[in-house]
Amino acid sequence: MLSFVVRRIITTIPVMAFVALFVFSLLYIAPGDPAAIIAGDQASPADVERIRASLGLDRPYLVRFAEWSFRVIQGDLGTSIFTNLPVTQLIAQRIEPTLSLMVLTLIFAVVVAVPMGVVAAWKAGSWVDKAAMGFAVLGFSVPVFVVGYLLAYLFALKLDWLPVQGYTPIAQGFWPWLRNLILPAVTLGLVYIALIARITRATMLEVLQQDYVRTAQAKGVAQKDVLFLHSLKNAAVPIVTIIGIGIALLIGGAVVTESVFAIPGLGRLTVDAILRRDYPVIQGVVLMFSLVYVLVNLLIDLTYTLVDPRIRY
Amino acid sequence: MDRRTFLKSATGAGMAAATGGLAMPALAQSPAKTLRFVPQANLANFDPIWGTQYVVRNAAALVWDTLYGIDSKFQPQRQMVETEEVSSDGLTWTFKLRSGLKFHDGTPVTSKDVVASLVRWSARDPMGLMLRAIQVELAPVDELTWKWSLKQPFPKMLLALAKNNAPCSFVMPERIAKTDPFTQITEYIGSGPMKFLRNDWVPGAKAVFEKFADYKPRSEKADWLAGGKNILVDRVEWVIMPDAATAAAALQNGEVDWWETPLADLVPVLKGHKDINVDIGDPLGNVGAFRMNHLFPPFNNLKVRQAVLTALNQEDYMRAVVGDDDKLWKPLPGFFTPGTPLYTEEGGDILKKRNVAEAKKLLAESGYKGEPVVCVVAQDMAATKSMGDVTASLLKSIGMNVDFVATDWGTVGSRRAQKTPPGQGGWSMFHTWHAGADCINPAAYTAIRANGDKAWFGWPDVPAVETEVTNWFNAKDLAEEKAAMGRLNKAAVENVVFAPTGFYLGYQAWRKNVTGVVSGPLPFFWDVKKG
Repeated sequence: MLSFVVRRIITTIPVMAFVALFVFSLLYIAPGDPAAIIAGDQASPADVERIRASLGLDRPYLVRFAEWSFRVIQGDLGTSIFTNLPVTQLIAQRIEPTLSLMVLTLIFAVVVAVPMGVVAAWKAGSWVDKAAMGFAVLGFSVPVFVVGYLLAYLFALKLDWLPVQGYTPIAQGFWPWLRNLILPAVTLGLVYIALIARITRATMLEVLQQDYVRTAQAKGVAQKDVLFLHSLKNAAVPIVTIIGIGIALLIGGAVVTESVFAIPGLGRLTVDAILRRDYPVIQGVVLMFSLVYVLVNLLIDLTYTLVDPRIRY
Repeated sequence: MDRRTFLKSATGAGMAAATGGLAMPALAQSPAKTLRFVPQANLANFDPIWGTQYVVRNAAALVWDTLYGIDSKFQPQRQMVETEEVSSDGLTWTFKLRSGLKFHDGTPVTSKDVVASLVRWSARDPMGLMLRAIQVELAPVDELTWKWSLKQPFPKMLLALAKNNAPCSFVMPERIAKTDPFTQITEYIGSGPMKFLRNDWVPGAKAVFEKFADYKPRSEKADWLAGGKNILVDRVEWVIMPDAATAAAALQNGEVDWWETPLADLVPVLKGHKDINVDIGDPLGNVGAFRMNHLFPPFNNLKVRQAVLTALNQEDYMRAVVGDDDKLWKPLPGFFTPGTPLYTEEGGDILKKRNVAEAKKLLAESGYKGEPVVCVVAQDMAATKSMGDVTASLLKSIGMNVDFVATDWGTVGSRRAQKTPPGQGGWSMFHTWHAGADCINPAAYTAIRANGDKAWFGWPDVPAVETEVTNWFNAKDLAEEKAAMGRLNKAAVENVVFAPTGFYLGYQAWRKNVTGVVSGPLPFFWDVKKG
């Protein structure tokens, strides 16, 4: 197991190096000029050129890439062109809201979707199944921002139960923190619920056909135990896989959700940076998300050993 | 610990947290003396000389004071300055600061700070550059006095120091002002009425300002950037909201107090809310612009430019930008801001009535051979997107070959600086808008300049325009200024420096428990009270 983990961590190095090269190159060839944005409309071309030079954007590609890579290896993601703040500080300012949103969404989605998928498979073809799958289709089909607006309209504007926007750090209290995140987490969670519920149902349908399930039922094992102890455990590997893959969905969805609910998270940081061509921030955030994704995949692989003892590394 | 004890303590802790027993106030529950404001854009940097975005200027006006301030009659009034004196030949200006002014770090404001600030500002500002070009000496005389000697008179000196167009001549401590004007400052210390709380700044989310207790306001009543800047709240929090619908909901829900630029589509909802006031934000509005590239075909041909101007119907553009609300737009047969003292329509008849047949005739006479018109249109700005759609239709209607490049503002910002032909990474036209405050006269109106290579993007070269700009700068009285402006407008229309697509305004909205909000070219926080 340890050697597997070490091996996997070592393999992340070329992956991260490729991501770094790809992102840097993509931004290099992409149109747009942060110096022109900084200079503003009153600036002369000479002013723009001086700003570009002061930011080091006029230097050759290879020199810039080498400098940036050298700093990244040392853990320095550079300094934002616009805010003049270190990228690591900007990420640190934004990581808590995004992490909170993702964790809460994950918990909410798994708690709702897995039982929903199990029950839908158990009652396959019934109205319960159709309702669950109808909900799943809705979750896939309705854009995140529409769900967000509808929920905000109902629960914030009409009922006045929850705030429309913002984020309160957990250090300022659990309820204020949760209060700000309920609507965003439900909004973001719907598509995730749809995904997990459908996979859970499909996998469970297959497992429920197995001989050992029939044997358990014949032995008189309680239905909930058949479903949740015998069947779900054997259906867990694909479900865990899809939960992991869904993290990427969450990262993408967080961008929209954070905008709709004005949450100062990494998603908004990324969009703002892209619109302004704040290259160090874009590079830093993409690199960090890539690392997170690689680590999540490693975690999923390790989780397999917990849910299926036949899997060993 | 047994199971029962554990459950009891866990429940207790959970209840305490859930009821806020462990909690600090959330954003929506901030103290009553905190004014929460949704600005027009993100405050991504905070150096008003290095970056000249309006949002930076607006925040900077809270933190840094100016020597003079422009009032609602467009007159420069003393602000940090106690007295000024100009020599009889107009070549030497001597200024004296008000005594007792302090920076936020407690140090006194001195003439050395002023001189260093003016040096930095004048390296970036168009009027500052004009002053530099004729400068003999800018130096402190004593602790509170400084002198500016020139080679030739500069009648617009006070306007240059008072103007609200970015970059404004904000006064910073000498050590900060000595930063290269093309490098960002790292300390945000001014002598303005509010302090910037750097540690609370989350770019893209929040910026916080706190009342500066040692600020010494003038005794006169506040009038835009002039007069006594009395702050009546403890804190001003800028809450950045990229989504207009969210901002509208937050205002309705009382989570924010004041929204600088509500989307026109959402205004009817806000107007219908019992706790919200809605009124015009900036009375100087914006001038929509169809900017043409004068270097390459087809717009290097005057007749093609005139053809576009002849076919252009400003109402089409304005309806696309502001919708059906007639209070929000005006036709603009010229280039200058309506309702301001120097406004003129001289020579603007061509813009008053659309004539497609005449436009087609002009196009035929121009020898236009169907060259593609590369329209570089930013889709992430509502105004440019709307104007771009109208333009594509307009150009096609007179028989032009449109190559529509839908892109974002970041790309437009860099592409418009390209002087290569349109087919090789260059461009033929793009849309933008100019703040009406910049268009009240030629002082800060870089887009009206037509000095070829040195002109704004599109690089028009029209000596008649430049002559009148010079005449305006040298004008000795209002009558001379008006005459120069009339001739300038006429020359700019005749030569189509750019095509104005109309004049439009925007609303601002605020909760009814907030008083003292005024219409102005930027949000003024002085005299604004909450509760």
